[in-house]
Amino acid sequence: MPPRQTPARLFAVPPTFLCPSIPRQQLRTILSITKPIPKPSRFNASPHLPVLGTSHTAALARKSRTLPLRTGALAIKKGMTALYDTESAKRTPCTVLQLDRVQVLGIKTRKEHGYWALQVGAGTKEARNVTRPERGHYAKQGVPLKRHVAEFRVKDEAGLIPTGTNLTADLFSVGQYIDAKANSRGMGFAGGMKRHGFHGQPASHGNSLTHRAMGSAGASQGSGSRVLPGKKMAGRMGGEQVTVQSLRVMSVDRELGIVVVAGAVPGPKGCVVKVQDAIKKPWPDAVWPPTEVVEAMREGVEKVPAAA
Amino acid sequence: MSVTPSTTRPLANLKQAIRQCRAERAQHRRHYAAATESLYPSLQTRYPPPTPGFRPSQAIKQNRFEIGLRKIPVIPPPPSTAKAVPDPIASLTSLQLSTLDPASFRRRLFSALNPDRARVGDILLVRLKSGEPFSGVCINIRARNSPIDTAVLLRNNLTRVAVEMWFKIFSPGVSGIEVVRRKEGRRARRAKLYYMRLPKHDIGSVEGVTRTYLRGRQGGAPTGGGGGANKGKKKSKN
Repeated sequence: MPPRQTPARLFAVPPTFLCPSIPRQQLRTILSITKPIPKPSRFNASPHLPVLGTSHTAALARKSRTLPLRTGALAIKKGMTALYDTESAKRTPCTVLQLDRVQVLGIKTRKEHGYWALQVGAGTKEARNVTRPERGHYAKQGVPLKRHVAEFRVKDEAGLIPTGTNLTADLFSVGQYIDAKANSRGMGFAGGMKRHGFHGQPASHGNSLTHRAMGSAGASQGSGSRVLPGKKMAGRMGGEQVTVQSLRVMSVDRELGIVVVAGAVPGPKGCVVKVQDAIKKPWPDAVWPPTEVVEAMREGVEKVPAAA
Repeated sequence: MSVTPSTTRPLANLKQAIRQCRAERAQHRRHYAAATESLYPSLQTRYPPPTPGFRPSQAIKQNRFEIGLRKIPVIPPPPSTAKAVPDPIASLTSLQLSTLDPASFRRRLFSALNPDRARVGDILLVRLKSGEPFSGVCINIRARNSPIDTAVLLRNNLTRVAVEMWFKIFSPGVSGIEVVRRKEGRRARRAKLYYMRLPKHDIGSVEGVTRTYLRGRQGGAPTGGGGGANKGKKKSKN
């Protein structure tokens, strides 16, 4: 699109301090007509009163037990393999998750947004395939473009990490537990037997063309002469977010960028997985970022030139 | 503004005719451009003139959509671990095998490149870290996508009861695998010898063969054949 030309002014208006009575704008807006609505007085919020249930304080208190203390990371599911324990000869099937170009892109604070969170990105993207508003966001934060972006909520400001920090595989330690969230494999339009575990009909004994059908959809007049809403039927299955909790981290390799977790993780190979400390296990003691990373960042982080 | 065409065109001089034609066409083009410039100022292009041989698709490829707009700085991406290590599972497997099978005995015993490898139809003896050694005819070698999970299926008749057992060849619980007897006759024409479950093809118990083999090994020549099957340990009396 050709660039828009700025509308030409009829005359140059002198600055406000010289002639305050001249109206600045020729436009009429809501704010020019009405006064802003005054904020209600916080008569019900006081140190002497119990905390109101609809406040940010109460909401964060409710969630404080299940919010992790520190951030998670975005990883790509590379596939499954097995790990053998040399002493006990036990075989553990594992999933390999690889962290690729994972960085902290931004911070959400209670003051501005009402909660504490970190915006994390992974991968990369062609600049010409990223919209200008999005590109502006990355430029303002001083981070490269990312393909996958997600937020990781944390309990409080102690879990926040400076923008631009590289999150590597040693964010997680061997022996800790993690929760993995990913979009499950899509099964397409699945029938009742696959989707809800219906038992189908007999394979023989005179059954004609009705081996995997749903059968009845409900009672008759007594059940309202209709099919009740929410009746389990065939339909699209899979392709939705699934969380697998409390997966043990079997191995971590910083050079390969991999976190090997015991068990299976939802999604196909190549899908992006949100990995965070398990909420149903004791919080790990690990502190991130480690001291050497913080020192390196304090010494010399390249400053991005301001947007023109 | 109309153009007066040249009046005389000598047909005999072809070169001159072509030159005059070209000049006329150029004149036409220039006049037309001048006309549009004066009539429609809003249609003037704000882009630099196109490169010779310009096609609309080239505009898209040359990414000319942001000319005249403010330039937004883009920070280059950091180095990628996914590009540096595209197959982390293979790296993990080789790392594991360096501890589980450091001298590659087990790998070579089942490697397709080894002419003396263990095949289906051979009688194998598997020694375990804890428990009785198990011998049987190998009816399946399962080497799927994950090499670390390669396994063999051995079939034997223990007191007239057929028993089939799977063994992961790289498991630390498997201390040794030996080839007791190669398949007699021609090589098996199948990869999976499930027909051996039928009484017609069932070879029955391999206890006799195994006992002979073990006796032969103890008193006879040092281990030479078998393609380096075992780890070189001296076999104790069973």
